[in-house]
Amino acid sequence: MSNPITSIKLVLLGEAAVGKSSIVLRFVSNDFSENKEPTIGAAFLTQRVNINDHTVKFEIWDTAGQERFASLAPMYYRNAQAALVVYDVTKPQSFIKARHWVKELHEQASKNIIIALVGNKIDILEDNENERKVAREEAEKLAEEEGLLFFETSAKTGTNISEVFLGIGEKIPLKGLEDEHNNNGLNVTEDQRINLANTANASENASACSC
Amino acid sequence: MLSPERRTSMAERRPSFANFSGNSNHIDTLMVPHLAGIEDPLPETTPEKVDVLIAGTGLVESVLAAALAWQGSNVLHVDSNDYYGDSAATLTVDQIKNWVNRIHNSKNESEPYKNAKLYISSSNIGPDCKYASRDFGIDLSPKILFAKSDLLSILVKSRVHQYLEFQSLSTFHTYENDSFEKLTNTKQDIFTDQNLTLMTKRNLMKFLKFVLNWEKMPEIWQPYADKSITDFLFNKFKLEKPQVFELVFSIGLCSNMDTKVPLALNRIRRYLVSYDVYGPFPVLYSKYGGAGEVSQGFCRSAAVAGATYKLNEKLYSYNPTTQVATFTDGSKVTVTEKIIMSPTQAPEGNKHVPEQKYEVNRMVCLVEKDCKEWFSEDESAAVVVFPPGSLKSGNKHVVQTLIMGSGSECCPQGTSIWYLSTTESGVRAEMDLDAALEALEISIIRESSEEITNDNDIVQISDDGRPIINSVRLGQSFKEYVPRESVQHLMKLSYTQLTSTPPFDVVNPALFDNDELNNRANSVNKFIPNASDNGIIYTAMPSSEISYDEVVTAAKVLYEKIVGSDDDFFDVDFEDDDNDAMPTGASVNGVINYENAIEDDEEDIQMGEDDSNEFVGEMEI
Ligand SMILES: Nc1nc2c(ncn2[C@@H]2O[C@H](COP(=O)(O)OP(=O)(O)OP(=O)(O)O)[C@@H](O)[C@H]2O)c(=O)[nH]1
Ligand SMILES: [Mg+2]
Repeated sequence: MSNPITSIKLVLLGEAAVGKSSIVLRFVSNDFSENKEPTIGAAFLTQRVNINDHTVKFEIWDTAGQERFASLAPMYYRNAQAALVVYDVTKPQSFIKARHWVKELHEQASKNIIIALVGNKIDILEDNENERKVAREEAEKLAEEEGLLFFETSAKTGTNISEVFLGIGEKIPLKGLEDEHNNNGLNVTEDQRINLANTANASENASACSC
Repeated sequence: MLSPERRTSMAERRPSFANFSGNSNHIDTLMVPHLAGIEDPLPETTPEKVDVLIAGTGLVESVLAAALAWQGSNVLHVDSNDYYGDSAATLTVDQIKNWVNRIHNSKNESEPYKNAKLYISSSNIGPDCKYASRDFGIDLSPKILFAKSDLLSILVKSRVHQYLEFQSLSTFHTYENDSFEKLTNTKQDIFTDQNLTLMTKRNLMKFLKFVLNWEKMPEIWQPYADKSITDFLFNKFKLEKPQVFELVFSIGLCSNMDTKVPLALNRIRRYLVSYDVYGPFPVLYSKYGGAGEVSQGFCRSAAVAGATYKLNEKLYSYNPTTQVATFTDGSKVTVTEKIIMSPTQAPEGNKHVPEQKYEVNRMVCLVEKDCKEWFSEDESAAVVVFPPGSLKSGNKHVVQTLIMGSGSECCPQGTSIWYLSTTESGVRAEMDLDAALEALEISIIRESSEEITNDNDIVQISDDGRPIINSVRLGQSFKEYVPRESVQHLMKLSYTQLTSTPPFDVVNPALFDNDELNNRANSVNKFIPNASDNGIIYTAMPSSEISYDEVVTAAKVLYEKIVGSDDDFFDVDFEDDDNDAMPTGASVNGVINYENAIEDDEEDIQMGEDDSNEFVGEMEI
């Protein structure tokens, strides 16, 4: 795999039980669980996707329960290039919360962050459209106003899940192509970053400057 | 109670622990690992009962919270501030404003901060100005991370390092004779340094060889065991003042001339063995803010392991008899084991906070200069040390300075943050800090000024034709130089931070004995009627130490007090340890290492602490 790789830090936000972790599970493992545990802990998962000639490596950060008492650490979304703001189409309250997160991201996250608004659990509507509590139009309007990508998904059936990530991947300035006018140094950072788990480079460097 | 039985670790309690077999694709039953072992649905309110309550999200508290959470303790971690980090926080300019106000209005009888003074250039920072408050990340305790250090090992072991981004710092300047001397710290530097006599070079080499294994040569240092390091280097190794000062103050980062020999030798070695572990530099720092980022990383790790987090939560009082802790918002929690609290978080009416008798005086300046003249190429930070006697103020103590440029993402392009600190106290400290600030300003104006960029001294060419970047370059003309411009201060903050830890001492375990139930024979343990904090164990405020070196030690002492032993301190058993080749995207029947699947398929995961790299190869003579 020699094509260039762009790393994207993607964070998940949304009310409890809207299906954030399920969306990730579907995307990363193409799987679903009916009785998913509420997420206390999740660090991050990675998933690679090929978009055209490019590999995009998603570094997906799920919440770790810190958001419960409005105690989310800023490091969580600070240098994220993308965010999924998820709500449950059957829970109006979760949509209100989603608005709140969009606002928070615009205020706190990096300016060029790509946000996707995701209305999840549309499979429930198949049996009974009356279950819908958040109108598609309303969400579309919010997305329009705030400049968000918008998707309605089901982690259960897989509907639209990969579209969410591909949609984001397509909007991210890719490495190599746009290095010149790099937005806010999004990818430049990677290069100066030192991996603490890897001391292998030490010997090389040592020999380079020994005399 | 005294030494609680060891709880099963997080990994053991995880239901998938028994069945999980590495990379297997053949687990038949559909099984989603319980995320970090939490079996019950999330409660809507804070827990009614926890094992340990930790107040304050500073470094020691956060490392402790993560260690305990992974060990299996039920931890409630609160902070009275609305941000993470407490005494180690990284703050925006607006947050600094609030912080200063908070100190001025503090009702904490043991408030560890005082004399906070703040200037903000409101025409430059604020809404509709050139810079926004949040463009800056200002550290209350600026820190650097040695490449070979216990915190670094823990960062790797706990995988908290994956949340952070580290950059290198290789430039250490010693201010001497009104100019910046760049550190000569490699054999190559020493050989190519034209200012050193052959004799000095030999003596320096001898010392560098000795210090790497100094314990094994007691005949050399024992006679000087109670003497100061400067004495030892002058008399035993016949080194000259510039070298002695570099070794003691820049490499060793000691705070005054009197630092004792063994302690100083350890500190000098710390630098040397850290060199070339990750590359040709001894220390690193985390981007976006130093200690504040690191403590957030550990808090997140603790949350991943099931700790509950609540900011804006302040303790009102604790009753050790009923074990009930009451918060100022009226909520209560039963704490079955211990309450650990930073002095910053002490409730009103506290009587047990250990005496904070040492001062660290700090000054932080946001300046409109990128200061890249002080950095090595591709770096964005530097350390500048002002040894005793080098400043106009006739300083007795060192002034240590950490310069952070915009590449650290702590400040916007064209600006930098200068952190100055000294262990000197009172008015003298103020004078020293002011003098150091002035020296920095004059230097940067001179070095960045256009007229002298063509000076021949700027680039020296070495024997093999390579240019040597030499920060001594402008030393000669320095005294005559009259600055024509001044440095624009965007913000200037100064404050005194108190601590119970003497300079360069590690935290004293006896400090943590305000623990009625353990009933150690120590007067501070006594139950004091009407005290709001009987039975609470206080952590120590950060010391003057510029590295992270005290943090793990302090966290371990507390951990041992709670768990009974520190054997399993961060003995984290990640399920995917031998599994980093697991194909992402492949379904392992729902079993993904969810809570800790920090896998990076590009990297060979190696533990940093016991790598077999020869240290400082080029030091060998
Ligand atoms: N019908 C249906 N149920 C779903 C869907 N996505 C998730 N769920 C269910 O909703 C519940 C919550 O899903 P999670 O993925 O744990 O939600 P979360 O947002 O990660 O929740 P927290 O981690 O508690 O914030 C689980 O019982 C899932 O099985 C979906 O698309 N359709
Ligand atoms: Mg979840």
